[in-house]
Amino acid sequence: MEGERPRSENPAMTFDEVSMERSKSFVKALQELKNLRPQLYSAAEYCEKSYLHSEQKQMVLDNLKDYAVRALVNAVDHLGTVAYKLTDLLDQQTLEVTTTGVKISCINQQLLTCQTYIEKEGLRQQQLLAIIPRHHKHYVLPNSVSKKVHFSPHVQADTRQNHFQARSRLQPSASPASKTLSWHLSSETKPNIKGSISTLESSEESKSSGRSSAAFQLLDRDDSTVSKPSGTAYASSGIQPSSGGMQSFGVPRKEAVDGSKHLGGFRSFDNPRRDIVRTPVPFRSKSVLSAFFVKQKASRLSAGSVS
Amino acid sequence: MVRAGGISNAVNVGIAVQADWENREFISHISLNIRRLFDFLLQFEATTKTKLASLNEKLDSLERRLELLEVQVGTATANPSLFNT
Repeated sequence: MEGERPRSENPAMTFDEVSMERSKSFVKALQELKNLRPQLYSAAEYCEKSYLHSEQKQMVLDNLKDYAVRALVNAVDHLGTVAYKLTDLLDQQTLEVTTTGVKISCINQQLLTCQTYIEKEGLRQQQLLAIIPRHHKHYVLPNSVSKKVHFSPHVQADTRQNHFQARSRLQPSASPASKTLSWHLSSETKPNIKGSISTLESSEESKSSGRSSAAFQLLDRDDSTVSKPSGTAYASSGIQPSSGGMQSFGVPRKEAVDGSKHLGGFRSFDNPRRDIVRTPVPFRSKSVLSAFFVKQKASRLSAGSVS
Repeated sequence: MVRAGGISNAVNVGIAVQADWENREFISHISLNIRRLFDFLLQFEATTKTKLASLNEKLDSLERRLELLEVQVGTATANPSLFNT
């Protein structure tokens, strides 16, 4: 009856009403079974008194037998009803408990998923937050003030060329030998450059032979005007050509006056196309190197253009 | 007359004995059914006890799991920054 209510109602309430109805019927059946006891007791007393006081004892006995059979059947019926309703109620409760267990398992699974996600996110964030050191090239020159110059490999060759060209142009023509481009470079960088700077720039220049040649020519002009021992670097690189021909031209422009130390080759992390150039740079005076550079520049220019 | 009375007495005794046997049989049937009903009640009680015990055990486990979930959810609610990406 109550279960026949339309489905538009809250299904939870309907389910609760059905459960309540089942519970009520069980309680009712149990109450009826309990009420059988006083009925049987009263019927037993009546039969005993009637058998004792009545004259037709056989009829009373027959009635008593019939009543006993019916009472027994009635009691069995009531017991069966109570047992059936109790079993149904227990099964319903077990089903509800199982459903609740499944729902709790779902919630537990969702919680475990959230925890797993949190852990993964935490690991990811920690990985992102981890500082990955990137070692850029840097050079340590012994004569400098222990300055380290870090060259970014992303600097374009043109800008660098312009930079050095500007720097070279800024030098007065009548500046002393100590004020040449190479000197400035050496003053800024340590003399233990292993050809990284120059090779870096030279490698950048090697990308376009025309650029390097043009820059080289400009430098030649600057060197000629300045007449500085900037050729030290040039000479050093010119004397001992690098593995990559182009790199040697770039070396003198940036090469500082080093001791008799070999310029270690390097490879930019950002530009793997750069070749490792190792050019030993013997120590020379600036004036001598600059002079030597003037002599060598023509040969290097041709070699650089080829490479 | 006496002989007829004796025969009637014998017949009455026979009838009485037969009735007594019938009554005893009836009583035995009733007793047997009552004993069967009693056995059914004992078996029903054992089965119901087992079902109730299993239900109680399930409820206890559910209660413990719910408590654990409640603590976990409470911890997650207390730290909402964990869910911020």
